[in-house]
Amino acid sequence: MSAQKKRNFQIEAFKHRVVVDPKYAEKTWKILEHAIHEIYNHNASGLSFEELYRNAYNMVLHKYGEKLYSGLVATLTSHLKEIAKSVEAAQGPSFLEELERKWTDHNKALQMIRDILMYMDRTFIPSTHKTPVNELGLNLWRDNIIHSSKIQTRLQSTLLELVQRERSGEVINRGLMRNITKMLADVGYVVYQEDFEKPFIEVSADFYRGESQQYIDCCDCGEYLKKAEKRLNEEIERVSHYLDLKTEAKITNVVEKEMIESHMQRLVHMENSGLVKMLVDDKFDDLGRMYSLFRRVQTGLTLVRDVMTSHIREAGKQLVTDPERLKDPVDFVQRLLDEKDKHDKIISVAFNNDKTFQNALNSSFEYFINLNPRSPEFISLFVDDKLRKGLKGVSEEDVETVLDKVMMLFRYLQEKDVFEKYYKQHLAKRLLSGKTVSDDAERSLIVKLKTECGYQFTSKLEGMFTDMKTSQDTMQGFYAAMGGELADGPTLVVQVLTTGSWPTQSSTPCNLPPEILGVCEKFKNYYLGTHSGRRLSWQTNMGNADLKVTFGKGQKHELNVSTYQMCILMLFNNADQQSYKEIEQATEIPTPDLKRCLQSLACAKGRNVLRKEPMSKDIGEDDIFFFNDKFTSKFYKVKIGTVVAQKESEPEKLETRQRVEEDRKPQIEAAIVRIMKARRVLDHNNIVTEVTKQLQSRFLPNPIIIKKRIESLIEREFLERDKEDRKLYRYLA
Amino acid sequence: MSDLDNIALDPSDFSACLPLKKVPHGDVFEASRAGDVTRLKHLIDRGINVNSRDQWDSCALYYACLAGHLEAARMLLEHGAICDEHTFDGDRCHYAALNLKVRKLLKAFEARPPPLGPLQGALRDVFLGCVANSGNLDHLNALSNPAGNSFDGGPCSTYFKPDVVFYVQGRSIEAHRVILSARSPFFKKKFETDWKDRTEIRLSREKLSYSALYCLIHFFYSDRLEIAVDEMEDLVRICKVCRCESLKRVLEKELSHQKYAEYKALGDVDNSQKRFIMQGLSLPEEDRLPAALQRILEVSLANSTEEQNVNSINGLSSQVTSMQMSFEEDLADICIKVDKKLFRCHQVVLASRSEYFKARLSRMKDFLEGKGGLPDFTLPFLEEHDLSIEAFEKMIEYMYTDTLKDIDPDQAEEMFDAASRYLLFPLKRAVADVLLPHLEMAPPAELCHWLMLADMYGVLKIREYCLDIMAYNFETFADSQEFRALLLTLPPPSGDSSLRTTVPSAPGAEATMDGGNILDDLREKWLEAEAAELDKRDESALIFDKRLEMLMIVAKREKSVNHNGDN
Repeated sequence: MSAQKKRNFQIEAFKHRVVVDPKYAEKTWKILEHAIHEIYNHNASGLSFEELYRNAYNMVLHKYGEKLYSGLVATLTSHLKEIAKSVEAAQGPSFLEELERKWTDHNKALQMIRDILMYMDRTFIPSTHKTPVNELGLNLWRDNIIHSSKIQTRLQSTLLELVQRERSGEVINRGLMRNITKMLADVGYVVYQEDFEKPFIEVSADFYRGESQQYIDCCDCGEYLKKAEKRLNEEIERVSHYLDLKTEAKITNVVEKEMIESHMQRLVHMENSGLVKMLVDDKFDDLGRMYSLFRRVQTGLTLVRDVMTSHIREAGKQLVTDPERLKDPVDFVQRLLDEKDKHDKIISVAFNNDKTFQNALNSSFEYFINLNPRSPEFISLFVDDKLRKGLKGVSEEDVETVLDKVMMLFRYLQEKDVFEKYYKQHLAKRLLSGKTVSDDAERSLIVKLKTECGYQFTSKLEGMFTDMKTSQDTMQGFYAAMGGELADGPTLVVQVLTTGSWPTQSSTPCNLPPEILGVCEKFKNYYLGTHSGRRLSWQTNMGNADLKVTFGKGQKHELNVSTYQMCILMLFNNADQQSYKEIEQATEIPTPDLKRCLQSLACAKGRNVLRKEPMSKDIGEDDIFFFNDKFTSKFYKVKIGTVVAQKESEPEKLETRQRVEEDRKPQIEAAIVRIMKARRVLDHNNIVTEVTKQLQSRFLPNPIIIKKRIESLIEREFLERDKEDRKLYRYLA
Repeated sequence: MSDLDNIALDPSDFSACLPLKKVPHGDVFEASRAGDVTRLKHLIDRGINVNSRDQWDSCALYYACLAGHLEAARMLLEHGAICDEHTFDGDRCHYAALNLKVRKLLKAFEARPPPLGPLQGALRDVFLGCVANSGNLDHLNALSNPAGNSFDGGPCSTYFKPDVVFYVQGRSIEAHRVILSARSPFFKKKFETDWKDRTEIRLSREKLSYSALYCLIHFFYSDRLEIAVDEMEDLVRICKVCRCESLKRVLEKELSHQKYAEYKALGDVDNSQKRFIMQGLSLPEEDRLPAALQRILEVSLANSTEEQNVNSINGLSSQVTSMQMSFEEDLADICIKVDKKLFRCHQVVLASRSEYFKARLSRMKDFLEGKGGLPDFTLPFLEEHDLSIEAFEKMIEYMYTDTLKDIDPDQAEEMFDAASRYLLFPLKRAVADVLLPHLEMAPPAELCHWLMLADMYGVLKIREYCLDIMAYNFETFADSQEFRALLLTLPPPSGDSSLRTTVPSAPGAEATMDGGNILDDLREKWLEAEAAELDKRDESALIFDKRLEMLMIVAKREKSVNHNGDN
């Protein structure tokens, strides 16, 4: 070395001398080759890094880079061939372990070789566009070990077999698996894909195809889903433990396809355990599982949703068309609510509150509720029932929830105006008879209706409340004005109702008893005195009265009766016996009402203030009535109910219907005029769709009726038909 | 910003369309405003601070942008002018940019890693390579040299193990003692006393802000301070404790400046977004990183010993132990024996500058050296052969300070060898720069020698220079025996005329020079020098080849004569 230290400016100076030795390259390479052998034999500790690096450096410096590189390739290749032999020779389970061990060794050796040959890596390799040492080592490993004919298939089948064994419940060495798959990925992702991932996916597909076939033949739906979920989780876990993360999507895809997608139809429609059964039995766990699994498959949720929808529709249809159910409206609505609650719970618990499922549920309800034309009436009756007595002693929040639920059903109604009609009637009855449990609840429902359908919908209902309030004030004023004048007469309570706000049936007033008539006249004078330009007419069919009666044994009772009944009973103040004809003459009550009143006075058990001859259930024109001296009751106050059909009778129903239709006419016409005013010219079909859209929130107008309304408007010269195109209408200002 | 995407910067954009005014005596601001590139280059080479502000608070880059001198702006940017949009100066440059091309240039430099010297860059990579540090300041991380990572294929390629960890406000900063000691007397004292044997230091003073300390330590490594304006007051306090006086002065001045600074380009810049960036050039030379490491090196060199008989290991170890007893303040953590001298060095500097040392230091256990087992010897120990003490000294001087002072041309050859061997490629350029003036006087024989060396060690600058001289004075060289002898040792020129470039290579194009055939390159230069008509180039080339053949025949004859004479 010291010879090289001599420095003067000659051409052959310094290190140039080493080139003079023709065997220099050969010798130096031998040293390095030996070092590589030693490194592979774990004897590196006997080598001097500095010396080896210097040798490699000098070789490259003196243009022996090519020799060094090719020598490296040859040496690495020969080592790898040996390694391949020892790996091939490994028997049975030690095969993978041997491979892993050799891989670790190779990697470590490669790092050391790379560091020794760093100068070549930095200068010679980039300038000659060769493969860097590290990559070269990996490539050679791939070509000589992984793609060796004896190893390639064996490696693949061993790996797949291990996975298979784990699937069947055995415990395998996951760390080993992880290292081997990592090796494949390190050598090149393509190698991992080709030599492991692809066959792995194929084998898995076969496996799951078979397994799912086996399961589906012997398990019910819930069990099957449990197994599928377990398998899916297993695969995800497998990927996280020892496979490349990119494989996860692929393998889960296989499981989804084989275990779910191909058996989807069969699972859903499985008898005694399929979706319908689960829905009926509230199997939240199973349903949730089904949802989360089917969601992974493209058309999975659509299928579930469709089956659920058709099930709900079918069940709902049965419910609303069952004649048994129609007998009790309250029960009918309660059942609807229960049904809705049940499915709401399923959707929120099992179906992750999926919007599309909620929509499906809503549309199903809308579908079947409107199948029954009496739904609006029933819902109103349900509310009536609740507000009359159902909500007594219930906290405010509970009232709210009940009302909210009712509103939900209300939303499904297409004929909201029909509901309004009934609701008005029921509300009027409640208000006039003072049967409302809670004013707050009433008002809260009205607010809800208002937010749902707008101001117009509830203005009349609100008017009714105002009337009630002003009547109270008027009565106070009346008594204050009259003072002592009325002290000994009967107490009169008048409710002044605005015409139009209330569902009044025009009825001829009956003849009031003279005692009452006097007070009434006084009130009339008082009222008209304070309010000029108004007209009062008595609605005797809607009032009620409290009568104090003394019976035969000196028993005193207070009877609560309707105004009609009061008129009848007052007749018995003068005579103990009255014939039907006499009563009819004296009171002039309309025949059906009179019959009903007499029936409730004479025929109801325990309430029979009158006796009738002959004794029979029905009232005949020739019957004679007596005051029943022997009437007894445990209570001081006795309420004599009127026999009223709670539900409407058939003719009444028709009447209501007619009135609804009648009310719709101006609404439709108004809508048509509004539209035409804006559009000027429009054809028939468009008018129909626009009108339908505008009125949707209240009812679904019938196109035929719309057509009739258009014709009527043409007659009245609001519109005209276009002269050329008969389908076009023009608005006439 | 999208309109910037449509703008392409061509090389032609950088040359001005109008002849520019020359300002032969102007300062950096005047030169930037006039776009006088030559003057600017001269000033930059003299080491002026490109980020200094003039009496109107403007920096040189601002004038270049305002006047739209792309080339001048690029030159300033390449030498570390600050253009970050969130700084005061950068904001002004963006706002003042004459046209979109200037803005595009600014944006391009904003996205690049900050231009740092090789030493600063290497140490910065080491600092950011430490696991605890890399999490902070994502934008810096994104900029960290991707070329460094690509080789090892792992983020750890620039990692070199830190020897001290600070815990501040629940977060940690990893660092190397020697760097901290070099930059701050406070740390130096602490490491010699309280913190001598500790690798974990918990700082729990409430006022100490993690991010300010992080910025400071980052500055210690990279000589570039990048800090949010909001943090500056914290940093001033830390500087006071650490006794970094000059940095403190700069910060205090800037703080009072920032109070009135108005940011315009971005509209409303949130206070927390405002940043201040300072390059090491803004500090007096003795407070920059190279000077700090120079001081450390001087101490270490003074402690390094040369002994006549270090043949026996026992002698060596006793010497080492005695060395350790007496000098601990240099914080050396590795001993390197070259020839007969033991050098005390710092692993972090060696490893950050040279891939070779990094591999060597991390492979200590795998090879023979690790088993060298010197008893009672706590410092790791390496031995380098085939290298003179002087050359190694020069080399570590370069590694620590990024500068080479008074190098003897006689040493240059060995320095080239060391630079290649230890993969210190910037050192080659530095040596070449020192060597070039000397070559102007060199006789043909010596130039032949240098050409050969330059080709061997891949020193492009020298190789290019020699080839130029030879081509222009071809006949003079043809007469010298050394040149003819040289011809024999070179691989023959490629006879295939298709490989010849028929178009003269553009000046400054380096790609073709990389490891090409010397004689091919020489022919190319010769053709250029002879300025032959383009269509006659092939003929001229043939003439040149014939001439070479003849020269070689002569050379062979001479050689055999010499040979016989020797015998």
